[in-house]
Amino acid sequence: MLEQLARLGRIGIGSLEQLGRGHLLLLYMLAGISELFTRPRLLLNQLFSVGVLSVLIVAISGTFVGMVLGLQGYYILSQFGAEQTLGVMVAASLVRELGPVVTALLFAGRAGSALTAEIGLMKATEQLSGLEMMAVNPVKRILTPRFLAGFVAMPLLAAMFSALGVLGGYFVGVGLLGVDDGAFWSQMQTKIDLYDDVLNGVIKSLVFGFVCTWIALFQGYGSAPTSEGVSRATTRTVVHSSFAVLGLDFILTALMFGE
Amino acid sequence: MIDDEPLVTIRNLRFFRGDRVIFDGVDIDIPRGKVTAIMGPSGTGKTTLLKLIGGQLRPAAGTIQVDGERVDRLGTRDLYRLRMRMGMLFQSGALLTDIPVFENVAYPIREHTGLPESLIRKLVLLKLEAVGLRGARDLMPHELSGGMARRVALARAIALDPMMIMYDEPFTGQDPISMGVLVKLIRALNDASRLTSIVVSHDVREAAQIADYIYIISNGKVIEHGAPDAMMSSSSEWTAQFMNGLADGPVPFHFPAPGLEQDLMGES
Repeated sequence: MLEQLARLGRIGIGSLEQLGRGHLLLLYMLAGISELFTRPRLLLNQLFSVGVLSVLIVAISGTFVGMVLGLQGYYILSQFGAEQTLGVMVAASLVRELGPVVTALLFAGRAGSALTAEIGLMKATEQLSGLEMMAVNPVKRILTPRFLAGFVAMPLLAAMFSALGVLGGYFVGVGLLGVDDGAFWSQMQTKIDLYDDVLNGVIKSLVFGFVCTWIALFQGYGSAPTSEGVSRATTRTVVHSSFAVLGLDFILTALMFGE
Repeated sequence: MIDDEPLVTIRNLRFFRGDRVIFDGVDIDIPRGKVTAIMGPSGTGKTTLLKLIGGQLRPAAGTIQVDGERVDRLGTRDLYRLRMRMGMLFQSGALLTDIPVFENVAYPIREHTGLPESLIRKLVLLKLEAVGLRGARDLMPHELSGGMARRVALARAIALDPMMIMYDEPFTGQDPISMGVLVKLIRALNDASRLTSIVVSHDVREAAQIADYIYIISNGKVIEHGAPDAMMSSSSEWTAQFMNGLADGPVPFHFPAPGLEQDLMGES
């Protein structure tokens, strides 16, 4: 009994310690942002590997999700004779929810895991130690550009996801199922609000970009410097990021769209 | 600065990893301009000692002074400033894997100086020439053999002309030729640039060949120290066993266990 209590305590203290370390790392990363202005190349390189290389998976997923939304939406809306509002349904679900959330989940799987593995292996092969001994701060030089790149790339990727999703929905709804072209776009134009829908979606994806990249970098930086350690850290990145995205999405939705 | 004052002075160093004692009251002096070897069996914390000198780890007690500065007390900024005058050669080389050899050697120069590109190129080529790899400047780290990677790392470590270089097990896993090359390089660099070198190693023959002074560490303490010749003919049984690589001696061949007969006849 006492032993179990002690174990519970250890787990609690361990988690708090991790949380503390995570926040310290975040502070150090943020402190390095100003240096990026003198070395924009570092950020550009990371924007490429974190952002541009994720474009394909995000674009394809976005298109298919939009197409499925068009299909399902049409079947349900047509039961009430409301199939002309398909455009609103597709756009609202994408911009408000699916765009930011699914992009963040894809991002965690594609870019987050890659970041963790990269940083973890750099640690395991003493590259980070090597930088420290060259009097180069690895957090500022290696982690900060990646962090900022993730933060910037996420909303752009989510916007692409939503835009291609709308086109996918248009293709299925208007192209295949015969929804009126004009109604599809005009309904969308009147009902989708720039602030309520689009801006809130952007805020969500900024939050997700912040959290996913932070988790990925923290896991990589804190991973045990062995092959097993890196593999565990990579798994943790995907699992923790997914939970964080889904949990935060609920909270943000409640705050933004709740009465 | 007084020239005969040691560059590194370690006093009463204590360091723990969890409950395990790594160093328990270690005193070491590293003289300027000399090659000092720190030797001992695997797992005695030789690499840890280098990390303590470089300020990557902090001791539980004791003092570490490098060129008059207390490494164990320096703040981050001062520590980084001091590290610009230290070079370290990691066992793995620790080259950045996504940039070619030239860029690896240029990295610390680019980071810490505002030199024009033409001058950086000359400096890097000179450093690579010193380790005999000027022709390998365009190779990526994964295209290098282990010995070559270590030499590139060495070129990078001397890029900013440091006052000292720390070598972490430089001879481990090298074939006889690259071993010979490294032995020659470490000695030549030390003498040509008036560096201070600290070589951590358990390769007795090579280390004794280049070192001016040897410290032997085991079980968290300095067992013996002196010039290589004196160590080779040491009267201490332990030192004799280590220096001559004898299988049995004060460090037993057998890990502590109950008697063999008792173990075999007993129940599992």
